[in-house]
Amino acid sequence: MWAYIIRRILATIPVMAIVALFVFSLLYLAPGDPAAVIAGDQATPADVERIRESLGLDRPYLVRFGAWAWDIFRGDLGTSIFTNLPVSTMIQQRIEPTLSLMVVTLILAVSIAVPMGVIAAWKQGTTIDRFVMAFAVLGFSVPVFVVGYVLAYIFALELDWLPVQGYTPFANGFFPWIENLILPAIALGGVYIALIARITRATMLEVLSQDYIRTARAKGAGQRSILFVHALKNAAVPIVTVVGIGVALLIGGAVVTESVFAIPGLGRLTVDAILRRDYPVIQGVILLFSFVYVLVNLLIDLSYTFFDPRIRY
Amino acid sequence: MSAATLPPGIEIPPGLAIAAPQPDILSNVKPRRGVIGFLRRYPTIAIGGGLLIIMLCIAIFAPFLWTKDPTALAPALRTREPSARWWFGTDMLGRDVYSRVLYGSRVSLLVGFSVAICASAVGLFIGLMSGFNRFADSIIMRIMDGMMSIPSILLAIALMALTRGSVQNVILAITIAEIPRVSRLVRGVVLSLREQPYVEAAVASGTRTIFIIFKHILPNTLAPLTVQATYICAAAMITEAILSFIGAGTPPIIPSWGNIMAEGRALWQVKPYIVFFPAIFLSITVLAVNLLGDGLRDAIDPRLAKKL
Repeated sequence: MWAYIIRRILATIPVMAIVALFVFSLLYLAPGDPAAVIAGDQATPADVERIRESLGLDRPYLVRFGAWAWDIFRGDLGTSIFTNLPVSTMIQQRIEPTLSLMVVTLILAVSIAVPMGVIAAWKQGTTIDRFVMAFAVLGFSVPVFVVGYVLAYIFALELDWLPVQGYTPFANGFFPWIENLILPAIALGGVYIALIARITRATMLEVLSQDYIRTARAKGAGQRSILFVHALKNAAVPIVTVVGIGVALLIGGAVVTESVFAIPGLGRLTVDAILRRDYPVIQGVILLFSFVYVLVNLLIDLSYTFFDPRIRY
Repeated sequence: MSAATLPPGIEIPPGLAIAAPQPDILSNVKPRRGVIGFLRRYPTIAIGGGLLIIMLCIAIFAPFLWTKDPTALAPALRTREPSARWWFGTDMLGRDVYSRVLYGSRVSLLVGFSVAICASAVGLFIGLMSGFNRFADSIIMRIMDGMMSIPSILLAIALMALTRGSVQNVILAITIAEIPRVSRLVRGVVLSLREQPYVEAAVASGTRTIFIIFKHILPNTLAPLTVQATYICAAAMITEAILSFIGAGTPPIIPSWGNIMAEGRALWQVKPYIVFFPAIFLSITVLAVNLLGDGLRDAIDPRLAKKL
């Protein structure tokens, strides 16, 4: 077991190295010469050359990658070209809204999608089932910003139930915080719910046809206990896997959702950085998101033993 | 059957009774054949394909569908509500939203189809290579794992940040972001096909590897690849809209659905129609492609169809 965990953690190192190499190449290939930018308009070519040397920009690609990776390892993500603030500081300032949005969406999506999939599988072929499947296709097809605008129009502008845009920090209280997150979370969760519901239904259909479900019925177990205890626990591994893979959708969608709902999070930071061509910030955010994604999927891999004790490493 | 229908020279032996012809009980059930039958059996293909053909016609014949110049400015006539003169209203620069939305379908469909074709072709090549060469496999799959751990929209955003916004660059960026998924799919299919007895037989009888790939493996990867390609097409159209929406996609001068929405964003609380019309078109087009993909998947793998 411990050997497996260590092996699994070690296996993420080459993946993260590839990600780092890719993200580093982004800055390396980026148009524009940082030395010339820092030197300013008045500088002579010799000045530019001196600054380039002092920044270490004249060294070979792999040496620069090594130095850069070592800085990242120590938590130094570089400095923003635009604001001159350390990238790690900028990320720290923006991380709370994005983290809140993702956690709320994750909880909301799982608590809606899993029962939806279970009920669709239980009532296979009925109107409820078709409704859930139709919803899943729609969820895949309607882009997150479309859902966002429609929801904001109906519930914020027309009905005036919830705030249209913005974000309130958690420190200001739970209700102002959650009020601002409900609509973005539903918009962001659409695809995610569709994905989880579909997998839940498919896996549940397979599990419900197993012999032990018939046995459970024969011994007189209630329908609810069969569905949610006997069946769902055995269907958990694929569902949990897709929850982890779907985090990529959440990350990609957060960038857009934050633009629609004017949430000052990492997504907005990314968009602003792209418009300003602020490469160190783009690098930092992509690196962070990829790291989170790899970490989430690592944890999910390790959680398999919890859901299915037969899986031993 | 009478003796007359027997070939000449053959006579029915005495004592042998020939049964009267029975009515063909199966003849009432007409098997549905041909295109119509196929579409009736898979209604999602009919609906999705139909919608997609309508969108294609709109894209191709946009200049003849009572549109105006989608880039013509008319500041005096800005932000007019939808009416008989401006079917979808005008935007903040007085441009006709109806014309812009119709022309915008060209960008979306072009990006969707181009990415689907390019990503499938490259992914097929990479997948076949890594499925057949163990050394290449170990390297390629590590790279693909790395690329897949960057969420695909972020990967596309990063690539777009490197280059200037143009439709070609958008296609290239989304294609690169989609390649790992296709490669993995093809590799998986190749690895399972290699275990098939007919492939083993081909190997045992000394067939050249290149011949095995083209004759035995490639044709069997095309079906799942086609299904995957439709999903990629749908994903690419959404990604293009997202890129344009956040200002990292097609240049603002080209009317694309993402661009129209990005421009309408500032005004959406007072003039929501500027955002909603391209949003509706985008959703319908993506829905059409997804339905087509679901239908194709069901048609190709009926076993899976019952489950998903």
